[in-house]
Amino acid sequence: MNQEFLEVRGLKKYFEAGRPGLFSKDARKVHAVDGVDLTLRRSEVIALVGESGCGKSTLALLLMGLEDPTEGAVKFEGMDITHLNDSQRKKKELRRKIQMVFQDPYESLNPTQTIEEIITEPLLVHGMANTPDRDERVKKALEDAGLKPAEVYLDRYPHELSGGQRQRVVVAAALVLEPEIILADEPVSMLDVSIRAEIINLLAELRITRQIAVIFITHDLGSVGFFADRVAVMYLGRIVEVGTMLEVLENPKHPYTKALISVIPVPNPRLRHERIILQGETPNPINIPSGCRFHPRCPVAIATCKASDPPMVVVNKSHQAACLLLVK
Amino acid sequence: MEILTQKNAAPPSSNYLLEFWRKFQRNRMGLVGLGMLTAIILVAVFAPLIAPHVPGSSLTIGVSDIYKPPSAEHLFGTDDAGADVFSNFIHGARVSLTVGFFAAFISIFIGGLLGIVAGFFGGRVENFIMRFTDVMLVIPELPLMVVIIALTKPSLLNIIFVIGLLGWTTTARMVRSQTLAVKSRKFVLRARAIGSGKAHIIRRHILPLVMPILVVQAVLVVSLAVLNESTLSFLGLGDPTTLSWGQMLNYAFGRGAMSTGAWWALVFPGFGIVWVVLGLTLLGQGLEQVFNPRLDTHHLMPGRPVVTSEAGVKPVKPGTLLDVQNLSINYVTEGKPPARAVENISFTLKEGELLGLVGESGCGKTTLMLALLRLLPSAGQIVGGKVFFSGRDLTALGEEEMNEVRWSGISIVFQGAMNALNPVRTVGDQIAEAIIQHVPTFPRDKISARVTELLDLVGIAADHKDHFPHQYSGGMRQRAMIAMALACNPQVIIADEPTTALDVMIQAQILELLDELRRKLGLAVVFVTHDLGIVAEMCDHVLVMYGGVTAEYADVDIIYNEPRHPYTQELLKAFPDLTKPKKKLSSIPGYPPRLDALPAGCRFAPRCPAAFERCHIEEPALHRIGANGHLASCHLIAEKR
Repeated sequence: MNQEFLEVRGLKKYFEAGRPGLFSKDARKVHAVDGVDLTLRRSEVIALVGESGCGKSTLALLLMGLEDPTEGAVKFEGMDITHLNDSQRKKKELRRKIQMVFQDPYESLNPTQTIEEIITEPLLVHGMANTPDRDERVKKALEDAGLKPAEVYLDRYPHELSGGQRQRVVVAAALVLEPEIILADEPVSMLDVSIRAEIINLLAELRITRQIAVIFITHDLGSVGFFADRVAVMYLGRIVEVGTMLEVLENPKHPYTKALISVIPVPNPRLRHERIILQGETPNPINIPSGCRFHPRCPVAIATCKASDPPMVVVNKSHQAACLLLVK
Repeated sequence: MEILTQKNAAPPSSNYLLEFWRKFQRNRMGLVGLGMLTAIILVAVFAPLIAPHVPGSSLTIGVSDIYKPPSAEHLFGTDDAGADVFSNFIHGARVSLTVGFFAAFISIFIGGLLGIVAGFFGGRVENFIMRFTDVMLVIPELPLMVVIIALTKPSLLNIIFVIGLLGWTTTARMVRSQTLAVKSRKFVLRARAIGSGKAHIIRRHILPLVMPILVVQAVLVVSLAVLNESTLSFLGLGDPTTLSWGQMLNYAFGRGAMSTGAWWALVFPGFGIVWVVLGLTLLGQGLEQVFNPRLDTHHLMPGRPVVTSEAGVKPVKPGTLLDVQNLSINYVTEGKPPARAVENISFTLKEGELLGLVGESGCGKTTLMLALLRLLPSAGQIVGGKVFFSGRDLTALGEEEMNEVRWSGISIVFQGAMNALNPVRTVGDQIAEAIIQHVPTFPRDKISARVTELLDLVGIAADHKDHFPHQYSGGMRQRAMIAMALACNPQVIIADEPTTALDVMIQAQILELLDELRRKLGLAVVFVTHDLGIVAEMCDHVLVMYGGVTAEYADVDIIYNEPRHPYTQELLKAFPDLTKPKKKLSSIPGYPPRLDALPAGCRFAPRCPAAFERCHIEEPALHRIGANGHLASCHLIAEKR
C-alpha cells in the first residue's frame, strides 16, 4: 500500500513559442514544465499551488497523457506511462484509473447531453455500458457525488443546475469509472465562497470512502484549507517547496512560499498582518531567469542567487525547499 | 432541502427539440418564413390535385389562346404556347424545390464533412482542405456552372450535382470555425481524458453543437440553390424536358412576352422564386435568432424613469459623502411580475472610508452599484429611495447632470479588465479619452502629462503608455482600469469584484494599491466582493447582502467577531481560515433565491439553520443592535429581546 504509486521524475514540457524569425535558427520555447519531481501515495491529497503561468495546469495535462512530455518520466504503479498514446492508455486502464475535474463547471459539461448521458458516457467509452448493473453504477456515482436522490437529476440538462451541482456532476462522471487518482484543476475557483466548501468536503470524503488520491491544483492555498496532506509549491515550471500541509503553512522555508502564505486573506480583522507583496508578476516562461528562477522577485535574494540554480534542500524527511539560503 | 429548491426552479424540459420549438414559436420572423415555405411545399406536393390543367399541355389550343391575360379560367393567364401559367407555376414549384433541396443536401453534406474534418483534425489536413476551399471560393461560381452544364447534358440530375458540388464552400468555412470553437471547450478535453476515441467525440460532442449552424446554413443554401437553378434555366441551360420557374421565365423572355405586354408570364414565376427565397431567408434568420439569442438583445434602449417619493427621507449627516436611503430596484420584464432585485438598502460612506459589500452572485450587489451611477440596464428601474452624493439627490438629476457626477464624482472599476478595454487602441489613448469625455475643457496639451501621472499613480511605468491592452498582463490591465477611474479625480470609487479573476499575489497588489490610493487621495471606496477574507483585511464597514436585502450592516470587527445574522455566521463557517487548523468547513446548503420567485417571509429562511415558523411567514425588519449602527434583519434578534 505504501509503495509510491504515481511517480514523476524530471518531467519537462516545452512548447514552441511561435515560429522563429525568418533569419533566426533557434525556435523560442515556452518552458511550461521545467523539471518536476513529485510522488503521490495511495489515497493521498496533494495541493499543487502556484500562480497562473507556473505550469501547474500543463503538469496536470502531462499526467493525464493529454500532452506529450518533452523529457522525464511518469510511473504509475511501477509502470512507465510517460509516452503512451491514447489507445495504449485506454488499454492499460489508465483512462479509467486517472480522472480529471476541470475548473469551469459551465464549460466542462456538454450542454446538449442530459446528466444521465454525461454519467453514462464514460461507461460507454470503456465498454462497461452493457452490463446489467449500469444504472446502479450511474446512480451510485451521482449519489456519492452528493446528488441525492439520483433520479431527480438524471433527466436534467447542465443549464438547469447550479454551479456547485454541475461541479458535482463532473465529479460523478469521474467517479463512475471508480478511479484511483483524481486530478482536480482549480475545481472551486469559479464557485461562490459559500459552496466551495461543499466540493472540497466532497473530495475529502471520497478519499476516505473510496481511497482516491487527489492532486488539487489551485492558485489560492487558502481555498484548500486543511484538506490536503501535503503541499507542493510551483514557480515557473518547477516545484520550489514541498512538505506536509502543517509544515509548509507554519514553517515555510522558500521565500516564495512565505509570500504566498502571507497574502492569504484571514477572515478576522483583528489578525490583520504584514503581507509580503511580491512586485511584478511571474516572468514569461520563454526567458527563464538565470540561477534561481525566483531571484528577480525575491525579497531576500543574495548575489549568488543570480548565478546558481538552487538544488532541493532537505529540511526534514518530508519537507524540502529549493533555496540557496537553506544550503549550509 | 436541495431538492425542494430545485423543484421550484425551472421546470425540467423533456427534451431539447421541444424546448427549441417552444422558443421558435415566439419568433415571428421565423414563423412567417416557415409558413411561407410550408405553403409552397404543400403546393408542390399536391401539384397534380391543385393544377387545373396538365402543365405545358397545348393540345387543344388555337392562336387566340396565346398570351391570354389572367381570367377566371386561366388565373395567371396563358403563355406563348397557350398553356395555363397557373398550372405551370404549380408544377414549376416541384422542379425548383426539388433542385433546391437536393442540391443543398449535397452542399451541406460536403461542406459539413470537410468543415468538421478540417476543424477537428487540424494541422496538414486542415491546411489542405481550407486552401482547397479558398480556391473554390475565388472561382466565380456562376460562369463555372454555365461552362460545366454547357459541356455536359443539361439534365435535371446534372443541374442538381453541379449546384450541389459548387455550393459547399461557405458551409465548410462556417462549420470549421464552429468546430474549432467547440473543440477548444473543456468538455471535449474531458471526453478525451476519459478515453473517448475521435469518432465518439465527433459524434457525441462536436456534431450536436455544430448542428444548429448546419441547420441555419442548410436553409440559406436551399435558397441559393433555388436561385442558381433559376439563373441557369433562365440562361437556357435548364433541363428542356421539365418546366421550372427559371425555365418559364426563359421561355417567356425568349418568346416575346415582353413585347406583347404579357407581364403575367414573367411576374408569376418570378414571384414564386422571390416567395421561396424570402421564406427561406426569414426562416434562416429566425432559426439563427433562436439558436443564438444574443443577436436579439438591445443594450442601447433608454433607461426607465426613476420613481421618486419623498416619504421617510432623513437629513444627510455632515461629513457623509454618499448617503443611500432605502434604495429599491426592480427588473421589469413585459408580461411578468417585476423582479425585486434590491429592496430598501441603506448605507453611508464617509470620506476615506472603505466599505465592503459582500454577497453571493445574484444577490443584487452589482445592480445596487450600477443604480448609484444610474447605469442600470434597460429593464432595471429605481422604484424607491434616495441617493445623496455631496448633498445632491442623484435620483432626481437629469441625464446631463448625472453625466457630470459620473466619473468626476463617482467612478467604477469593473471586474474582467480585458473586456472593458478596447483591444485596438493603446491604453494611454483610452485613458486620455476618458478625460476628454468627462472634462471636455481639459487643456489638450496637458493631457499626455496627466495620463503619465495617472499611470504612475497606479504603478505603471510611463513607457507602457503606448502599449495595447494585450501587451499588458492581467494585473496591469486592472491597474490601467483603476487609472482610468481616477482620471477625473472622483471622490468615490466603486470597485466591482476587481480582483476576482486574478491570482492571489496580483490580488494582493491591487488591494494594496487601492488602500494606498485611498490614503493618498482621500478616496472613499465601495469594494464589492464575495470574498470575506479580503473584506476582513481592508474594509472599515461591511454590508452583507442576501437576495437583494440587507442581511447585516456593521463595523468590520463586529461582522467577524459578533455577527448576528445567521447568513453572516454561515458565510464565515464556509470560509477557510488558515489560522484555525481544526475548523471544519461547512457550506450553506441550497441556493440563493431567484429574484422572480422570492420566498415568503425571510429570504434566507429556506437555507437558514436557525429558521423557525415566523421566518417563513413574515419578512424580518432591520433591527438596530447596540449604539454602533449595527443592523441585522433577523427575527431571532427580536425574539431574544
